[in-house]
Amino acid sequence: MTAATAPVDPSHAFADFLACLEEADEYGAIEVATGLLDAGVPAERVLLDLVVPAQIEVGERWARNEWSVAQEHAATHISERVVAAIAGYADPRPTRGRIVVACMDGEWHALPPRLVAEVLRLRGWQVTFLGASVPAAHLVSYLHRHDAYAVALACALPMRLPYAHRMIEACRRSDVPVVVGGRGFGVDGRWARRLGVAWAADAPGAADLVADERALRRVPPADLSHLADHEYAGLVKRRSELIDSAVAELRARVPSVEDYTSAQWDATVGDLGYIVDSLAAAVYVDDPVLFTDFVAWLVTILASRGVPDTAVASTLGHYGHALRDFPRAGRFVALGAAATVATGGVRH
Amino acid sequence: MTAADVRGFDPGDGRISTPSAERAPARSAGAAAGLPPLAPDHRSPEPVRSEPARSEPARSEPVRSEPARSEPARSEPARSEPVRSEPARSEPARSGPAWSEVVEHFREGLIICDADGVVGHVSPVAERLLPEVTPGRRLAAAGIPVLTEVAIDPDGFGHHGRRLRIRRVPLSGSRSCLYVEDVTDSISRADALLAERARSAFLAVVGEKLGNPLHPDRAAAAVVRLTVPTLAEVAVLVLAPRSGRARWWRATRADHESPTVDSGVLPAAALPPAIAEGLSGVEPHAVDWLVEQAVEAGWLPGLTAREVTARVVLLPGRDAPVGVLLVARRTRWYDDADLELVRAFAARAGAALTTAILYRNQAEVADTLQASLVPVEPAETTGVQWGTAYRPAQASLRIGGDFYGAHRLADGGAVFFLGDVSGKGVEAAVFTGQLRQCLQALHRVESHPGRLVKLLNDALLETTQAHGQGRFATLVLGTVRPHRDGGLSLTMAGGGHLPPLVLRNSGEVEAVPLRGMLIGVVPDPRVGEVTVRLAVGETCLLYSDGVTEARGGRRGDEQFGQDRLVHAVTACHRMPAPALAERIAQVTCDWLAHGDHDDIAVLALRATGPGGRPRRHLHSVPAIPGTAEERTPRP
Repeated sequence: MTAATAPVDPSHAFADFLACLEEADEYGAIEVATGLLDAGVPAERVLLDLVVPAQIEVGERWARNEWSVAQEHAATHISERVVAAIAGYADPRPTRGRIVVACMDGEWHALPPRLVAEVLRLRGWQVTFLGASVPAAHLVSYLHRHDAYAVALACALPMRLPYAHRMIEACRRSDVPVVVGGRGFGVDGRWARRLGVAWAADAPGAADLVADERALRRVPPADLSHLADHEYAGLVKRRSELIDSAVAELRARVPSVEDYTSAQWDATVGDLGYIVDSLAAAVYVDDPVLFTDFVAWLVTILASRGVPDTAVASTLGHYGHALRDFPRAGRFVALGAAATVATGGVRH
Repeated sequence: MTAADVRGFDPGDGRISTPSAERAPARSAGAAAGLPPLAPDHRSPEPVRSEPARSEPARSEPVRSEPARSEPARSEPARSEPVRSEPARSEPARSGPAWSEVVEHFREGLIICDADGVVGHVSPVAERLLPEVTPGRRLAAAGIPVLTEVAIDPDGFGHHGRRLRIRRVPLSGSRSCLYVEDVTDSISRADALLAERARSAFLAVVGEKLGNPLHPDRAAAAVVRLTVPTLAEVAVLVLAPRSGRARWWRATRADHESPTVDSGVLPAAALPPAIAEGLSGVEPHAVDWLVEQAVEAGWLPGLTAREVTARVVLLPGRDAPVGVLLVARRTRWYDDADLELVRAFAARAGAALTTAILYRNQAEVADTLQASLVPVEPAETTGVQWGTAYRPAQASLRIGGDFYGAHRLADGGAVFFLGDVSGKGVEAAVFTGQLRQCLQALHRVESHPGRLVKLLNDALLETTQAHGQGRFATLVLGTVRPHRDGGLSLTMAGGGHLPPLVLRNSGEVEAVPLRGMLIGVVPDPRVGEVTVRLAVGETCLLYSDGVTEARGGRRGDEQFGQDRLVHAVTACHRMPAPALAERIAQVTCDWLAHGDHDDIAVLALRATGPGGRPRRHLHSVPAIPGTAEERTPRP
């Protein structure tokens, strides 16, 4: 590992690595990574400068519909194997306390927290990685059994924030400090601040944060007084009613949907549900940006799969009408409808 | 906010002047009887005359002015009781109550001074409260500065151990009246109430914070952290020794921050005597040497024995104390009220620690048992890539009624199985344990799937009959044998379980036609058997009914069903087996959308070929147009 070769830049290996992911070549990908380690590149740099950018590219290829979801899952799986291989290669000896790393319940993007786990391990922490979609009950019983110094929780989808908040509270009640990360909390962690929880932008940030116990325990209070208007609870309660009415409206507006396959219906109902969930999450943190970002993203994704962007706008119009009694949610929906126009305009 | 903070209400020598209770009535009664009519009262028969004079400053003296003003209103014939002493005036005798007498019974004492500040009259109450004030002398000469100061403290002032509040009112002719009130009791009542509230609030926070950590170490850290700064500057908790070693936690006050907590271990024999005595159940009473012991133990960094006071309280456990808490501070001695609060805290801390230790002991047992019931990952087998997913219905339990596994066979192949037992939770998990142990033993004597399932059926029938309870299972059990070309040959027997799926290289998904009866119900059940060939890269998928019967969808009541499962794995045939198994768990859980579910188990076998490397070229897989699951948000 102390090879006298000139420092190697992991970004030079990027193209090779991505080709291995594309071909689902687990062994080839591991060879690329271990080759860098052999050349003296620190394990943390291989993780952060090779695996992370490759995973971002994988996500973008899926979003552009260049890769199928099966390819994306396969590539992610291989990246996880590579991470495991890098961790095994470095094999650091733990000298510090135990940190539990987990994905929130319902959250399946396990690679980013896995990378955080390995970076923490490389910095001497004893890390337990509980994996994807960890039920709150499982996490809490784990915390009761093992004395954790801190818990790191990942949330990639903002629409899961209300659940994330519940999970954070559950950890707090076990008196374990929590640090969160992932795009679900906003690119600048703004929704983590709203929920009153320590946030780290990336793996090194998380490592710095857990190393500072006072910063970890000094958490600003949650700012959720807006929940007193009960709009969030109302949205959750009316979720299925809203989706039903949107389906009925879609049938009336677009007669051709009667020819949908059952799988297409499932996907459509799923999308209608995601819109309600994102709206509810936006109301939960009282930030329309959460909803407008989601709408813009959905329009882009659907467009790359051939769905016209007016489809989302019409549905938002329907939701806005159905939510007359929800002033805050209604305002967010109107902003979302404006976002569909903006997003569609950019593309065409 | 502590009990001790409230000491203000108890001035220490407060009992010195308790006269209010006994002496006052006697004396004022005597005064009422014996005193001559008060000097200023000479005015009282002339209310009319004094009225104009008072009209300007009247606002400030409601009390005085009232009787005067009420007179005209009540001028009609007074049927009221005869007025005794002053019938003299034209105004009816109503105005006649002897004001001197009335005034003497006010709770407030009165001191009236003339324009020069010379005391004219002192009412008996005032005389008792301010014995220094003497009629005929200047008020200032009494030597009580607050009486003559312009600014008046609304909280009153301490005097002879009482708390007095004064009020100064100007009278006509530049005279002035000083009202003196003894507020000792009401202030001490208010203070006691505040102190009690602070104590309740503290104990409520304690209850909230200590109710949750079930891990003994964290509960211990929470106890010392809560102690500082409310009860102590330094708090040390020593837990009852376990196998000769005692663990301690210490919280030290840090400026503007939450206290610093550290911990350590001491041999039981090296504990300070007072701590050891406390742990044996005797609260140490002599506390003078306690501080020295604590300093000697190194628990009070930067503090010397002379400047600190300390106390030790026991944390009650189930029989002996669960630990002892040493509290130390520089500021004040611990008085009875403080100790009462520390003990109330200790009782809660003891309960929390006892619960945490009880939980740990139970959980150690449960963990050991659970570990034997959690499905074991399949053994590595040449040419086979295994993938598994397991999500028990009761997440906190981590075990359930689904099971899977694989054992290597001597000929290089493996026997694998996935199934589901009747019932739920722990009982079901225990039954899966029996099943897996049966299989582990039986596969050594019988490796033919059909016959192995029948053997298993006989074994289960015997045990369930012995226990007198009907338990049964469904399962798929098979053997896998590698071929020279890298393909796999799977022979599977069905015991009433859902038919496996095969993901072909062509992209097709086939359901394996496998039938059979439940296992453990009847002797000699009908067992279906089928053989499947997997080419390199092809996958066979076993799953439990937790997948297909997952209830979700729009209203949360629609079953996931086999069609959705087939759709979900379509186009996934080149996925590595672990990624495929996880994908099925994911789509199932997404369908459930946080709803309750049955146990979910998935076992996937993929033919990787002899080199262990599956064929590549994933990108050559044609994307199936219009497939829906691509829309699952994975930004």
